[in-house]
Amino acid sequence: MKLYLKLAVAILAAAALAGTAQAAECGTDRNIDIAEMGWPSAAALARIHATILEQGYGCTVELVPGDTVPTLAAMVSKGAPALAPELWPNASKQAWEKGLVEGAVVDLGPAIAEGLVQGWYIPTYVAEANPELRSVEDLPRFAELFADPDDPGKGRFVSCPPGWACEIMDANFFKAYGLDRTFNLFSPGSAGALDATIAQAFLRKEPIVFYYWGPTAMMGRFDMTRLEMAPFDEEKFACIGDPACPNPEKTDFVVPDAVKAAASWLPQEAPAVAEYLGKVSLTNAEIGRMLVWGEENKADAEAVADNFLRTEAAIWTKWVPAEVAEAIKASLN
Amino acid sequence: MMFPEFFDTTPLRRAIDSGLDWVIANWGAGFEAAAWPLQWTLNTIERGLLATPWWVVIGVLVGLAFAATRKIGLPLVVLVALLFLGFLDLWEDSIKTMALMLTATLGAIGISVPLGVVMSGSPAFRRVVTPVLDLMQTLPSFVYLIPAVMIFGPGKVPAVLATIVYAAPPLMRLTDLGIRLVDPDVLEAGWSFGMTRTQRLIKIQVPLALPTIFAGINQTTMMSLSMVVIASMIGAGGLGYQVLQGIGRLEVSRGLLAGLGIVALAIVFDRITQAFGRRLQKRIGVAEARH
Repeated sequence: MKLYLKLAVAILAAAALAGTAQAAECGTDRNIDIAEMGWPSAAALARIHATILEQGYGCTVELVPGDTVPTLAAMVSKGAPALAPELWPNASKQAWEKGLVEGAVVDLGPAIAEGLVQGWYIPTYVAEANPELRSVEDLPRFAELFADPDDPGKGRFVSCPPGWACEIMDANFFKAYGLDRTFNLFSPGSAGALDATIAQAFLRKEPIVFYYWGPTAMMGRFDMTRLEMAPFDEEKFACIGDPACPNPEKTDFVVPDAVKAAASWLPQEAPAVAEYLGKVSLTNAEIGRMLVWGEENKADAEAVADNFLRTEAAIWTKWVPAEVAEAIKASLN
Repeated sequence: MMFPEFFDTTPLRRAIDSGLDWVIANWGAGFEAAAWPLQWTLNTIERGLLATPWWVVIGVLVGLAFAATRKIGLPLVVLVALLFLGFLDLWEDSIKTMALMLTATLGAIGISVPLGVVMSGSPAFRRVVTPVLDLMQTLPSFVYLIPAVMIFGPGKVPAVLATIVYAAPPLMRLTDLGIRLVDPDVLEAGWSFGMTRTQRLIKIQVPLALPTIFAGINQTTMMSLSMVVIASMIGAGGLGYQVLQGIGRLEVSRGLLAGLGIVALAIVFDRITQAFGRRLQKRIGVAEARH
């Protein structure tokens, strides 16, 4: 069985070599597995990288489904997947830093250049109807507005799905801002349910207070206003991210960062690929454009990536040498 | 070789999505009001169970196990399973899961038994319903879970509805089957005594079909328990949520213990309903032998 597999791989590789004029050396004959995360921007980035590495550099690429915490854990412990094109390390800070120190993973720079946000949001129509509701400190007085259907005496704050770092942060912010008595923390259970919950409230023009982050398709689609928080303090925020934080104090969320994370063998064995990845960077506006196109055309990640490569050549050709760009362009037609 | 594209599906998908958006914006409140009895039942069961002291809950379930078997074995198993939940600090989550399961099972009984009875009497109705039941059992639940969240709001109501969709079909099929399997001779006897259709149904068919219906209830309970984790993915809470947290935070211990908790609950309810089913079967068997 194994022999057959090897043979098949060899034949395929030979066919690939014979078929396309190799523009650049991949550098490794190992399978480069790219984590395709569940949310649209990361999924599209994974598809874009897959096409560029396959068609431009002649690498063997495989897309594997992923999610922040498990993907990061697998990269640190097993060196697979080889690449996570949009990883939010804050979600699993300890594992990420441990991986960097131990040399299991490398940080190939920011995936999104600027414009990242996270925080507690209310719909803008709620903010306009309630001008006194501007910050998290004001929330207790508005508990009735956000009444919890399961417990109408209290308000409901829609937090994060289980396992996300913001689930812990929200719980600690609750204590820091003394919201326990007036609000219930509600976990929607999954990313899909979180989005569905928010969409329901917006479509029905109902009040809702929730955690969200951007750039995301949801943020592009619905007009939301961020609730102000106390000034950011690094030490206090470190405690907010700790499930065992003894005494959470008022602070703001950190401005999140999203990085390109690779298993350390990738830059060692395939320096050309690492160089390419180092150059990849998109702005908030560029990501937004991609997501809006996908939303409007009901396109999946593959179609979004394909459209990006076809229409935004001005952006991605800066990331690769000219002959690689030519090979990719040729493959698109 | 790819299947050729005959037409662009984008407008169709756009129409479905904006149709759903329209339904949510305009009928959402109505749907939520319609689901209110369900929410009320669930909240009442959950509050009631949470307010009951733990030893009463254990006592009742062990008592039921004894009533069903009149032996010491099963009550002991039930006691150990429930103590396991208590000692592992899973009691409150187990109660929430139990409430969800009981509400879903009650809902499934309320829908399935009457419809099953109709099915047994009308082959035409059966021909229409069977493919619908097949669809309910095979359609991946997330396909309707997320729209359900958008229509009914997050939390327990869509979770119970999804559980009912998944767990009701076997009960409906088994009710139908049980009634059709009733010995025609017995029915004829009823006929000759001048029983009306309704009398025959209530006094002969349903009682004789009870063991089969009970097997259906057993199936429904088990299937609702197997939906617990998926229901938690839309905010139902309970043991399933612990499993999700375990997965999300890579805490294998948390996921494993909560998973074993679900198994413990499954054992308790499976064995008790099965024992009752067997008891009914025996009684009816004896009754038939006497005639």
